[in-house]
Amino acid sequence: MNNLLSVENLTMKFGGLTAIDDLSFDAKNNEITSIIGPNGAGKTTVFNCLTGFYKPTDGQMFLHKEDSKISLRKYTDFKIAYVAKVARTFQNIRLFPAMSVLENLLVAQHNELMVASGYSLYGLLNLKSYRDKEQLAVDKAKYWLDIIGLTHRADDNAGDLPYGDQRKLEIVRAMCIEPRLLCLDEPAAGLNPKESAELNKLLKFIKTEKQTGILLIEHDMSVVMGISDHVVVLNYGKKIFEGTADQTKNSKEVIEAYLGVDE
Amino acid sequence: MEKRDIIQSFKDSLFTGLIALALFGPIVGLRTASKGEGLFITPQWGIVFLLVGLCIFGRFLINLNSARKTELTFFSKFTSKFSAITEDKAKHFAITAILFAVVFPFLPFTDRYFMDVAIMILTYIMLGWGLNIVVGLAGLLDLGYVAFYAVGAYSYALIATTFGWSFWICLPLAGVFAAFFGILLGFPVLRLRGDYLAIVTLGFGEIIRIILINWYEVTNGPDGITGIPRPSFFGIPFKRSPDEGETSFHIFFGLEYSTMHRIIFLYYLILVLALITNYFTLKIRKLPVGRAWEALREDEIACKSLGVNPTNTKLTAFAIGAMFGGFAGSFFATRQAFISPESFTFIESAIIVAIVVLGGMGSQTGVVLASIFLIGITEMFRDLEQYRMIAFGGAMVLIMVFKPKGILANRKPTILMHGDKK
Repeated sequence: MNNLLSVENLTMKFGGLTAIDDLSFDAKNNEITSIIGPNGAGKTTVFNCLTGFYKPTDGQMFLHKEDSKISLRKYTDFKIAYVAKVARTFQNIRLFPAMSVLENLLVAQHNELMVASGYSLYGLLNLKSYRDKEQLAVDKAKYWLDIIGLTHRADDNAGDLPYGDQRKLEIVRAMCIEPRLLCLDEPAAGLNPKESAELNKLLKFIKTEKQTGILLIEHDMSVVMGISDHVVVLNYGKKIFEGTADQTKNSKEVIEAYLGVDE
Repeated sequence: MEKRDIIQSFKDSLFTGLIALALFGPIVGLRTASKGEGLFITPQWGIVFLLVGLCIFGRFLINLNSARKTELTFFSKFTSKFSAITEDKAKHFAITAILFAVVFPFLPFTDRYFMDVAIMILTYIMLGWGLNIVVGLAGLLDLGYVAFYAVGAYSYALIATTFGWSFWICLPLAGVFAAFFGILLGFPVLRLRGDYLAIVTLGFGEIIRIILINWYEVTNGPDGITGIPRPSFFGIPFKRSPDEGETSFHIFFGLEYSTMHRIIFLYYLILVLALITNYFTLKIRKLPVGRAWEALREDEIACKSLGVNPTNTKLTAFAIGAMFGGFAGSFFATRQAFISPESFTFIESAIIVAIVVLGGMGSQTGVVLASIFLIGITEMFRDLEQYRMIAFGGAMVLIMVFKPKGILANRKPTILMHGDKK
């Protein structure tokens, strides 16, 4: 068993409201784990706990390395991405709109480039060692832009891209930090069927080629059922079901939770 | 043009006249004069009607003009042409401007007054470039920038008068002190954004000024510091009659003594300091830290999610911006030979922010144009005494009307994948 992430008894309370109630689940390497549930079920709160934006009231989250495990609770803020290598995207796209597509991807490689530029000293002296590193970073950005087919727009402002391309750009920007776990918050929201099919392809590519575990929040069932290896269903902050996509489709609890939704 | 349009614009003009009447009526129309044992009101309705009539007429003309949907206005035509030129030939423009700045002191029409104005404009350009790092790149609205200018000036003045060290040693020290204060300000405001940040920085600027006034033992309070050493030409002083065993600038170079020598030297000093600031900013913008500043301005949460440390990034922006403010401050101290808290009031911060914002956030050339425009116009109308602030306000309004995003408001990517296509 190659567990990547284990969430144990996670609880998050906002005053009197319990957004997540004693949630436990595992996510595996090279797998896409989907978290689904009706609106307000606490899906995004789980993400915010995992990625250090919230400090959970109770419970543990562990990220497993080869033979050790690190507790995500210890890292907050930017350190989740920097040290623990957990990357995320946002429900409402958060690119740097006035910066070019390429610059967006370079900011994602900030920490490596910062060291390479000798904390700006070598960069100011324009040393070759820094210029080489910068070229490597540009190459990496080009690699990802080739995959999503946006290389020709590399020098345009990210804010000028069509919506679907912005979604894809945000995902590859997160991939530029070379994450071990990638958390995607509704990546298919607002995409047309063709774009969601492309998204499925991109996520499958990341899963198989990049050996990255993916955690996915999604409402679009064509995406969830098409690519998930494992589905966790939340309702009112509680886990009501866990299993494969097919099992989920036929689960009585899940249908009840989505009351009125035809399967 | 249809009849309806004319009636519409006529109505609009009358409404403008109404507003003008409401404003000018009490302000201009009622004049108080003291006659004998009391104040009496003298109405001046003639002037009011003239002003209101002008407003109605002007508004009607503007309406006629815009109804034709053609931009005939000279100013907007001029600026759009100008920004088109500067966009295409930014490099040529910069080189021409620098060459002009270099030969400026030796042009036939350049006199003492022009030199003083030029030095003042260059000081503001340098301050604008320094603040551009904080406001334009990192997006942190700093309304207390004058504090760092003051710290630089006072550290230079105190070190130079106490220890007698030369300008070239005091200058970096002043920069270091100012940068330290930049970090000092940075820490408490790390979590603040937008309006809240602006208020705290404004308060910080005032705190520094009030400390300077009240800490009499060190800063000499409102009396200021006098006798700050004048700069020397790398150790050779600018004096008419040098002391025993000393040589003077005009003797060393075999020239006739002239007070202009020092002025010209000061001019080149601030020119070089400003160009260093510019070069540094242009360079650092293309480095990871510069990109992180801009990313932070765009979206702080996204920055965190990518592992960019917002604390360090903000503090470096504050420190580096403050450092250049400190350099400019020590130049100011050595030029004036006298400083007092009077020179570091909030209006200075406001002018520097205005220069950065009106120049077009983050645009280096924009800062130059805005400085020349704002400081130059205010100087040109110096004869009008207190009315010259109207010229300052007018210049601001003109820029806001015709160039609401700033004189030059386009951003070039810091790195290109496909090279420059143009």
